[in-house]
Amino acid sequence: MIGSIAWRNVWRSKSRSLIMIVAIAIGLFAGVFTMAFMQGAVDARIESATKSELGHLQVHAPRFLENNNIECSISDAREMLSKIETLHGVVAASRRLIAEPFVMAAHGTGGGKILGVDVENEKRVTDIWQHLVDGTYLEKNTRMPPVVIGQKMAEKLQLRVGSKIDVQMVDIDGNLSSKGYRVSGIYKTTNTGYDETHLFVSYNDLRTQLGVKENTAHEIAVLLEDGTNAPAIKPEIQNIAGNNDVQTWKEISPEMSLLTDSMDQYMYVFILIILLALCFGIINTMLMAVLERVKEIGMLMAVGMNKRKVFVMIILESIMLTFSGGFLGILLGTLVTRFFETTPIDVSMFSEGLEKYGFGSQIYTSLQPNTLFTIGFLVIVTGILSAIYPARKALKLNPAEATRSE
Amino acid sequence: MKIIEISKLQKTYDSDSVPVHAVNGVDLSFEEGEFAAIVGPSGSGKTTLLNIIGGLDDATEGDVTINNVKITELSSRKLTDFRMHNIGFVFQAYNLIPVLTAKENVEFIMHLQGEKKEARDTRATELLKAVGLGEMVNRRPSKLSGGQQQRVAVARALASKPKFVLADEPTANLDSKSTENLLDIMERLNKEEKITFIFSTHDQRVVNKAHRIITLEDGKIISDVRKN
Repeated sequence: MIGSIAWRNVWRSKSRSLIMIVAIAIGLFAGVFTMAFMQGAVDARIESATKSELGHLQVHAPRFLENNNIECSISDAREMLSKIETLHGVVAASRRLIAEPFVMAAHGTGGGKILGVDVENEKRVTDIWQHLVDGTYLEKNTRMPPVVIGQKMAEKLQLRVGSKIDVQMVDIDGNLSSKGYRVSGIYKTTNTGYDETHLFVSYNDLRTQLGVKENTAHEIAVLLEDGTNAPAIKPEIQNIAGNNDVQTWKEISPEMSLLTDSMDQYMYVFILIILLALCFGIINTMLMAVLERVKEIGMLMAVGMNKRKVFVMIILESIMLTFSGGFLGILLGTLVTRFFETTPIDVSMFSEGLEKYGFGSQIYTSLQPNTLFTIGFLVIVTGILSAIYPARKALKLNPAEATRSE
Repeated sequence: MKIIEISKLQKTYDSDSVPVHAVNGVDLSFEEGEFAAIVGPSGSGKTTLLNIIGGLDDATEGDVTINNVKITELSSRKLTDFRMHNIGFVFQAYNLIPVLTAKENVEFIMHLQGEKKEARDTRATELLKAVGLGEMVNRRPSKLSGGQQQRVAVARALASKPKFVLADEPTANLDSKSTENLLDIMERLNKEEKITFIFSTHDQRVVNKAHRIITLEDGKIISDVRKN
């Protein structure tokens, strides 16, 4: 019956309660949608980073990552690759040679990282070939070896498909090695920083330029069916890799790890700020509800309703008010978010800035059910906390005075 | 049989450092089945005395014993519980819960007592019939006249099967007809059900109906008259 009274009390002043419910609903709708939008952006960034750049796991020779020393290489790469590909949960693996070249073109120079890849294997691990905006993926159409470059590098060095570049690097013997390549394709990912600095050539072309032995690699990139299984599969790959270093994408790219790990925290801080702002509104509403019912609350205490029950009644009113608004806001937020899970939000007007940080210009929202439960829980907690001050005010009433108050 | 015994009761308010004796050494007792009115001018201490008897206010000194329980020594929690099971209240401004129907208002106190729904339903309906509101059980207070609301308040006061009912100026907001109607109902309940009623009042119509009239002045009893 106390619950029934509390619910009816919520609707005693319809306009006041409706205003509060709408305010809570709008606040939480904004919170849920923003969380889904940010999560979607982060998910897309991780997807792009793992699918286009890193893979889910990587194997390197010890100390290679310290300074990309080409002498630190995996000697039996092909055998290791074959064994890794037999593991359950592994989609594909690709060996890579890596060097840090100096790139010279007719209209400028640049630097970055050049990756020598087995074309067919690499296509199964990363999707750069699907991001080509012009040309082909390392198809040899001329006498010169092919190279695939990013659009940003192409713009910077004024290159197009068919352009010639000269790639210089220090080979395994410490000599300066220079080799001409012809641009066979230009790719564009959502990360302009990557596009500006990463070139792809075939494994054999780079191997001969570096002068390293057949069957060596600087990196083996592994793609998993489910990237979240990377920590679980890592020990199995470590067994195969022996003394070589095996790292998950989070370990290789700590900034990405930070992005994913901190995103939830940022978002909950954001939701808490919204709820804190709403909290003051709820306190005000509940305080008004208590102060205009002094006589009635005094009567309830007089006839035998103990303080605990009075407290519970007021807390319930606040929870019901808050949860009504919260439910509407979460429902609306979920419906809109579901819609934008399949229909991208076009943020191309900010694409230049976003792409510098690796974010695409089309974002699909992403919302986990446990996020909704957490928000729902926080809404109830807000309702309870907001009601404590008004409820304490009610408990301090003297029933004898309250029943005779005007 | 005595149900209320009051001895050497004092209530002093410190107003601007000048003590005001709202109740000043009152000794009084009530028998079961009384229909008594406490009268006196404004500020004579009627309401304060009624509040202390009802356990709504603390005494500065003295004791109030109800059915052999010294309520002046009970903790706040126990006192609340005691009020629920032993005392019925009728207030000047009715003080019904506006979001509940007449029947729900009457049922509410039984709910607090932990009565089962069926028992609550039966007793609330019976009580509302007894106060002449059998046809209005589902009306909310805003759809009832002042007199009807006060009759619901009487039914509510009786719902918990209290030892006695305290009514503070119950007719102050009522017109003559409603007052007469209400007093007739309470007098009938007093006669037929042996329910003890104690009023604080200014209203001569209540005084005329009362079987015992206790007059207060400056917190002291100056007369205590029983009618034959």
